[in-house]
Amino acid sequence: MTDSKRPSLDSERAKLVGARIKRVEDPRLLTGRGSFTDDYRPPGLLHVAFLRSQHAHARIVQIDTAQARAVAGVVAVVTGEQLARSARPMRAVSTTPGYRVTDWPALAVAKVRYVGEAVAAVVAQSRYVAEDAAELIAIDYEPLEPVFNVEEAAAPESPLVHEAAESNVLLSREFSHGSATPGLSHEDHHLSRSTAPDAAETLTLRDRFRFRRHAAICIEPRSYIAEFNPAEDSLTLHSTTQCPGVVRMALAELLGMAEHRVRVISIDVGGGFGAKSSVYPEEVCVCALARMLGRPVKWTGDRREDLMATSQAWDEVIDAELTVRRDGAIVELKAEVLADVGAYSIYPWTAGIEPVQTVSFLPGPYHVPNYWARARAVATCKAPTGPYRGVGRPISTFVREGLIERAARRLGIDPIEIRLRNYIGNDEFPYKAPTGIVWDLADFAGSLLKVRDLLDYATWPEHQAQARQQGRLIGIGFASFVELTGIGSATSAAPGMPLPAGTEAATVRIDPSGTVTAIFGVAAHGQGLETTLGQIVAEELGVALEDVRVLWGDTDVAPYGTGSYASRGAVMGGGAAIMASRALGEKVQRIATHLLEMESAVSIVTEPRPAIGDRAQPRVSLKEIAKAAYAGLKRLPKGMEPGLQATCFYDPYYGTASYATHGAVVEVDPDTFGITVLRYVVADDCGRMINPLIVDGQVCGGVAQGLGGALLEEVVYDPSGQLITGSLMDYLVPTATDVPRIEVSHLDIPSPTSLGGFRGVGESGTIGAPAAVANAINDALSPLGIELAELPITPLRIFEHLAVRGRNLGTQTKPSSE
Amino acid sequence: MKPSPFEYHDPTSVNEALELLRRYGPEAKILAGGQSLIALLNFRLSAPAALIDLNRVAELSYLKHENGTLRFGSMLRQRAIEFSPLVLQRLPLLAEATRLVGHLPTRTRGTIGGSLAHADPAAEYPTVITALDGELVIRGSLGERVVRAHDFFQGVMSTALGPDEILVEVRLAEAPPDSGCAFEEFSRRHGDFAIAGVAAMVVVDGARCRMARLAAAGVGPIPMRLRAAEEILEREGLSERAINDAAASAAEIVEPAGDLHASADFRRHLTRVLTRRALARAADRARGK
Amino acid sequence: MAEHRKIQLKINGELREGWAEPRRLLVDFIRDDLGLTGTHAGCEHGICGACTVLFNGEAVRSCLMLAVQANGAELLTVEGLAHEGKLHPLQQAFWEHHALQCGFCTPGMLIVALDLLRTTPSPNEEEIRHALSAVLCRCTGYQSIVEAVDAAASRLRPSR
Repeated sequence: MTDSKRPSLDSERAKLVGARIKRVEDPRLLTGRGSFTDDYRPPGLLHVAFLRSQHAHARIVQIDTAQARAVAGVVAVVTGEQLARSARPMRAVSTTPGYRVTDWPALAVAKVRYVGEAVAAVVAQSRYVAEDAAELIAIDYEPLEPVFNVEEAAAPESPLVHEAAESNVLLSREFSHGSATPGLSHEDHHLSRSTAPDAAETLTLRDRFRFRRHAAICIEPRSYIAEFNPAEDSLTLHSTTQCPGVVRMALAELLGMAEHRVRVISIDVGGGFGAKSSVYPEEVCVCALARMLGRPVKWTGDRREDLMATSQAWDEVIDAELTVRRDGAIVELKAEVLADVGAYSIYPWTAGIEPVQTVSFLPGPYHVPNYWARARAVATCKAPTGPYRGVGRPISTFVREGLIERAARRLGIDPIEIRLRNYIGNDEFPYKAPTGIVWDLADFAGSLLKVRDLLDYATWPEHQAQARQQGRLIGIGFASFVELTGIGSATSAAPGMPLPAGTEAATVRIDPSGTVTAIFGVAAHGQGLETTLGQIVAEELGVALEDVRVLWGDTDVAPYGTGSYASRGAVMGGGAAIMASRALGEKVQRIATHLLEMESAVSIVTEPRPAIGDRAQPRVSLKEIAKAAYAGLKRLPKGMEPGLQATCFYDPYYGTASYATHGAVVEVDPDTFGITVLRYVVADDCGRMINPLIVDGQVCGGVAQGLGGALLEEVVYDPSGQLITGSLMDYLVPTATDVPRIEVSHLDIPSPTSLGGFRGVGESGTIGAPAAVANAINDALSPLGIELAELPITPLRIFEHLAVRGRNLGTQTKPSSE
Repeated sequence: MKPSPFEYHDPTSVNEALELLRRYGPEAKILAGGQSLIALLNFRLSAPAALIDLNRVAELSYLKHENGTLRFGSMLRQRAIEFSPLVLQRLPLLAEATRLVGHLPTRTRGTIGGSLAHADPAAEYPTVITALDGELVIRGSLGERVVRAHDFFQGVMSTALGPDEILVEVRLAEAPPDSGCAFEEFSRRHGDFAIAGVAAMVVVDGARCRMARLAAAGVGPIPMRLRAAEEILEREGLSERAINDAAASAAEIVEPAGDLHASADFRRHLTRVLTRRALARAADRARGK
Repeated sequence: MAEHRKIQLKINGELREGWAEPRRLLVDFIRDDLGLTGTHAGCEHGICGACTVLFNGEAVRSCLMLAVQANGAELLTVEGLAHEGKLHPLQQAFWEHHALQCGFCTPGMLIVALDLLRTTPSPNEEEIRHALSAVLCRCTGYQSIVEAVDAAASRLRPSR
């Protein structure tokens, strides 16, 4: 057949990738017909309430459940020892040398390690009754000496959170590049926060940065409903997890079941942000209980439990030093990171996931010829930490961008100028960073200059000068960063973690009637994958978006995949979608050609769409093609396998660079020290955007969470380890009056690495916002001679810094805040 | 987070409610708007044997204007107060403070009586009632008595209400002519409890200040009436200097405590700032008439 | 010991009834007993707003009400917004402006927005943000919701 006769897909098909189109999942969510886990109501459902430890560190001497069991409506009361017969403890493993393995049982065994750890489970007809019974459980504890301070916990003489580990330092990892010597130059970071320029004309900025504990606060609490079918020896778990594939593998191992008899279903999830990407003891417990009792069992966390026991994040102390030349060029960057990872190593990512990221991403988008950093994950008697939007990157950005702007202030160099002097240049890609990460392609300067223009930066100095004359404290701050997204098998998702997480898959199927189904292992928790993946499939196949049904979140239905985390959904799910759709699309073309050649065997159908063929010539519909495909060899080209289904696995192998610059303008009230963000702009590059509406939403949502971390959110424990921020009245999540308009612009440079050219964007907002806001606040406060290196920056902290400064004129010590 | 079991009664008259209170004594809790109590029940921080729900006692929901006094039935909703033209015109301080109480859905259920009986020293209503020297009408088994605001609030979450008594009415004198008022509050987020707040009303008479009323929220065990600051204004007028002096005095009167959100020192500092701001605004409004 | 009380109410225009212990929260009654799972429980202490419903025409936090208090009342939940298959202008505007991501707070946002527009038909941005601060959203950063409410306000205002 000549080219001119070769049938083509309808040239009128809409370009869907890149289009701002409304989401297909919205109508059901808007009408209250979502399928959230707690909405699921199997008959005979029993409810679980956990009794949780009120001690931060104690041996369990005795548990008396007799009174609890006697309450009407109670079916069972189970302790850790009983559960241990039914479920193995979680054990996050890592190949990182020196990593100390610890166990995390589904219910505490022998001792408790943080306030809020589940000690017993009551199963009853209703949650109300279960809570009544839980109050009647009597537990004898022998208190042990707890440890809460991360530096104390890292010291050899500290009480041990896990005796078997022999140390609270669960993981230690160093990175070294160039001629940087290990260790920081000064023991006492308080003494001098910058050196005078030395003979070689360099300046060293150093400080202790502190990022305080953060909680994810997904509006939907965690919820698990387990059903065990003894006839099939199979388990079905409805879960709020972001990672159905991970949970399935874990449950099979922990419960001693064959993997193919475990099904995990997670359809609509009310936010995850990483906090729902881990396997939790409650999740394992609920499954074990369902198997033990032969009845469906549900646990939905309440907010009190969520604050106590859902993974927390960002609790790090970073001593850092940046050495620059007089012209602002970076000479060396060093950091010592202590991460307070709480009482257990999060599963399966390990306690190292966040601190290792902090140091591996610390150099950022700059040339850093000499680099040394050490990260240590230290156990304390607090809730376990886990991955949370941005993981270590918000912290590394806060530290590095804070140091860069300080250097600029000290040297009298413009903060934009100093960055431009240090960025990796556009002609240097692919570029290998000091920690071994390879950035494929970026335009760092471009992102900064775009922010500069959006903020009308040329007029800023005069604007600020005028404001200062009026007694107003306004400031501007920037933050540039780069992260690796869509990570394939070349890099482990977590340090030394053996879980196979470098691929994602898609199955695309065209039914005999021509409808399209696309099934994925990634799972949605608000980022619109049902729409974006549908856009990709629809465009590749030349069908309308409404003709594609996207399925996810059911491990019985989906091909193997680990789920949605690490900004990989669009890149990896999208890549797999392209592969599978393309493979199918090619087959459709070949069948169409074949059918058109066999004129006598084909009825010309004039369906408007989708149709293959030239407008002026005979056309054949997708339905015809599908019918032929399933009819068998009779109507197919010679040697072609019947059917219209393709499953493809995508491994980007390396991952791609996502990057952005954020800019913030803030005002600090000179009397109350209340902080207002006046303007917030983002210039990011997430490559080829599938749906700009959704991308903007992700960035705005991420910035809002980052602003929360910068200004409002802090998990606080009292000296005995009790959680003080035990409700949403005390743990402050930003509301509509706390988040300004966020202006987002995009660079749109397609990734050269990922199929489809997509780059991840889900975490971008939280990575840049804390740094940009902190820098802006420090700029605003600079006339007052104070600099804050601790987040969140609150009016109280500003007040206290000023009070100390007022009392200690001449020195620059900070108040001890622990 | 589910409440412990309790016996539940929803009387339809005050007498019926009082009879129930008599029967249960301190074992029972009164349920008004529920915006504080039900949260406490859900946390099981409170587990009364019985709840006496006043939401069906229609006779407690009214707003009357008589002889220069506004009389609020204790079960009148904050939402009704917020949208009342009468309150906006005659008691602008209360109208302004109402918009700061939580959020609209909170105010749909929250009541004036409930807020006062709950007596959180950081709450707006107790502070306004204290500033304006309101009267609280209490009914019990021995009849009715009227208690002035400064006698009503006795400590943190503690009032003059006996275990067998119900707050039935709140009386506030309407704002005098030539008066201006303002409520200045500092909170971490809009709608949160005040870290510190100041309610101010001033009555101008030429250059003089004929009357000043000031009370502070969140800076003591009860709403703090700032009489010494009021006296400075009544003596010296409403110049910038007088206002600054009054603000400095206010900062000395209060007895703030430290907590998660603010230290005592910071609250003291805020008292000064907010007093100054509230007085400046109130004075402007008074002069604007 | 736990007495159950009969509750008769009108919800989304339909007469329904059930039985509940006095301590049963209204949000649980709506979700479990009436089977209307569109209203969500996010905190059970009146901060997150995901449980907001209209109670006799006014927005309330159903986690801070007892089911028995709804006897004789008229309720509107998110399931009652659309009319004969057609989305309410607020729902339509939310859809067009990408004012939801995970959708968990959305029922609360819609009801709060509805209450706002009924009491303040032409709210400015500050007023919209004040009203929306009654509901926590972790996904959107709020501005798309603000835009959606503003757009819906225009559509709902009686035209001149």
